[in-house]
Amino acid sequence: MSTEAILSSALEGITVLEVGDSRAEFAGLLLRSLGADVILVEDRHGSHSRHVGPFTTPEPHPEHSLCFSRYNLGKKSVALDIGNPAAREAFARLARKADVILDSGEALDVVSRAELYREWRKANPRLIVCTVTPFGLDGPYRDFLMTDLTHLALGGVMMSCGYDSQPDGTYDTPPIAPAMWQAYHIACEHAVVALTAALNFREMTGEGDFIDLSIHEAVSTCTEVAMPTWIYSKALIYRQTGRHAAESRSRPWLRRTKDGRYIKAFMFWGGKERRVVAEIMSEAGIEHDLNSDAYKELAEKSPSKAGAHFSAMIDRLCENMTAEEIFHKAQAKGLLWASVRYPEENIEDPHFKARGTFQAIEHPELGRSLQYPVSVGTDGHTRVTAFDRGAPRLGEHTKEVLGAAGLSSAEIEALAVAKAI
Amino acid sequence: MAENANMKRRPLEGIRVIDLTKIVAGPNCTRMLATMGAEVIRVEWHDNRALDLLRMVNPKAPGGDPESLNRSGLFNNINPGKYGVTLNLSLPQGRDLFKRLIAKADVLCENYSPKQMESWELGYENLREINPKLIYMQITGMGKSGTYDGYLSVGPTAQALSGLTHMSGLPEPMPPAGWGYSYLDHSTGYYGAMLVLAALMKRRRTGNGCYIDVSQTEVGIITSGTATLEAQLTGKHTPRRGNRAGVANWAPHGAYPCRGKDEWIAIAIHNDAQWTSLVEEMGKPVWASDARFATAESRKANEDDLDSKIAEFTRDQDRYELAKRLQARGVSAAAVQNAADRCERDEQLKARGYFVPLPHNEIGMWPIENFPAKFESMRVEVGGLPGRGAPTMGENNEYVYGKILGLKPKEIATLQEEWVI
Repeated sequence: MSTEAILSSALEGITVLEVGDSRAEFAGLLLRSLGADVILVEDRHGSHSRHVGPFTTPEPHPEHSLCFSRYNLGKKSVALDIGNPAAREAFARLARKADVILDSGEALDVVSRAELYREWRKANPRLIVCTVTPFGLDGPYRDFLMTDLTHLALGGVMMSCGYDSQPDGTYDTPPIAPAMWQAYHIACEHAVVALTAALNFREMTGEGDFIDLSIHEAVSTCTEVAMPTWIYSKALIYRQTGRHAAESRSRPWLRRTKDGRYIKAFMFWGGKERRVVAEIMSEAGIEHDLNSDAYKELAEKSPSKAGAHFSAMIDRLCENMTAEEIFHKAQAKGLLWASVRYPEENIEDPHFKARGTFQAIEHPELGRSLQYPVSVGTDGHTRVTAFDRGAPRLGEHTKEVLGAAGLSSAEIEALAVAKAI
Repeated sequence: MAENANMKRRPLEGIRVIDLTKIVAGPNCTRMLATMGAEVIRVEWHDNRALDLLRMVNPKAPGGDPESLNRSGLFNNINPGKYGVTLNLSLPQGRDLFKRLIAKADVLCENYSPKQMESWELGYENLREINPKLIYMQITGMGKSGTYDGYLSVGPTAQALSGLTHMSGLPEPMPPAGWGYSYLDHSTGYYGAMLVLAALMKRRRTGNGCYIDVSQTEVGIITSGTATLEAQLTGKHTPRRGNRAGVANWAPHGAYPCRGKDEWIAIAIHNDAQWTSLVEEMGKPVWASDARFATAESRKANEDDLDSKIAEFTRDQDRYELAKRLQARGVSAAAVQNAADRCERDEQLKARGYFVPLPHNEIGMWPIENFPAKFESMRVEVGGLPGRGAPTMGENNEYVYGKILGLKPKEIATLQEEWVI
């Protein structure tokens, strides 16, 4: 599949200046996927994510971080230490060419730059600024030091994720933070909604905006029924293994399969599901009694016991088939089940291949390409987003971008002497 | 607020969205568009195929008729700021009215099962004939194009297939914990909104609408971080790591029990200075000076023992007090909050106006979770154009059919008698 994508030119002509630490790198990535020219301003040591693994080489190296390359595809890199007084004018000139400034980090760092941005907005009211900080730019927790883990804790996600309690309601396992920077994903997705709304607003009014986004609030909005359950019922929901947290214990969804994997057997516990499970078991030659008079009688006399028996039959089905076999057979008959896959198993899945979910990005240091997930949709034929190149080397575009911002060779050289680039 | 909010303009002023979505993923998309000022019109009907089951889901506002379709707290939280009409799409007259609405709309969002709209001859190819500028956002579990077009999915199904379920939880032999709610219903809504906003930007330039087929599972794949890349690099499947860091030698890094039932604190140590601060807060216990905990590498290598020791210390501590003391020492720590904590104890959410009280026609005034950012120029309100919570069933039939479509009161009455609206 080519790198063509239906929305990869949606933000054509928009220049985004991305500064700060790595918290908003995913927002920059999404904006780039929609066609914006995203200029990542890094200090001379490189973005924080360049120093986070996994690395493509045995020893950590800022040019070989998969964390960096994952979140910075297609961006330009300018190595400019904006904390260096000598870089101030260069930063201002870059900003004059920008439509959007996306800044992330601890509030204390961002607040000091926010005043600058407000000055620039007075001179250029079309400028859109979005700050992404742990708690926003005000409030009593503003200066707390936060990470992805502590955000998922404070924002309520962890309290809904984990394992079943003991029969007495106590837990011997901790709440779980789902892996892979999900607090930052949630915040960045909201940042991109806010920014694309602001770009539409600017088309209509000619006016930019200053957007102060709180990661804590973004995470808090993402806990589904937990908050309404407290607001409306003054009740809490409790963690359960492999299924939704709930006020009271529900039957399992997660089942071990013949090949040692798992299936997520999502159930409404209705009659149609019983008939379909019975059909799959019969076709596979697995003994069951779900169509027997004895089972029907049990269902009438004691729905709870019948439910438990049905659940045991599902276990039996799963013990006798592989996860992928069950997934496809169940889906063919209208059950909302899926195998619990490793994420990488989807790379070779014909469905996602046909949709262009993944795109090959070259890694010269490996002498080969890796498949990156790049798109969440299609127009029926072509994927929605893609990238025209991989992540930049540190400072790869410094001279090009500073030159385009009007800095002369002598000025750029002076920045180098001042160790600002 | 420096300026009167009512003097400001909304970013999606003049944009009309027809909302044919149900449950959470689609409605979350249109919630964001309503917050940004679009006129979002929910189209619903009473039969099982068209009724949004979320209207019947607990928790419900206390009192009133328990069979009412207008008392769900979750529905109210997911659908504020939208208008609501009833429309029977099973009838030809209903489909004709729907087409008249489409002719006056900018965006259609729907999340029926993949082929439903085409069976009504309301697929994109039909609707673009009526309105070539229409942006048609279709959200399904797997995505409509590809080889799984007949497969059905809810949030947990998509989470399982994408890899997110597998990645969340303690290492083998423990099973996956997964997500304790439909995370991908939230995230897919965010992607839906940002792609509609990007498509609107593109339409401003090209004058053309488009069709976007979003896959909830692909949203899960794209939020799996570096997992797919690391697996390609190492040839090993993505492991589960509980709350521990997989990308760097950050330890301790987890949730630790505190005083009280199911009360926990999350602590994330990223460097030696933070480790020293934590040791000081613990009163410099002898075990902490053990060589096994002297460096980041050795702490990581001995994480089981380290976590046991930390838990011994935290077990008698108040989670909020300890988090406060650790934050004062420059350590990222936070109480693991449940919904009650966030509603009753979280001073930051209160200070930032996170809970917005909004009226509802049947259940009165209830707090709604706000968009997680502050804006200086744009009017962004979770109560949207109508300035209230979710619509009751058919609340705005007169406005939509009378004012927008220009039907006379008698015609509206006839349509009601004929069970069309």
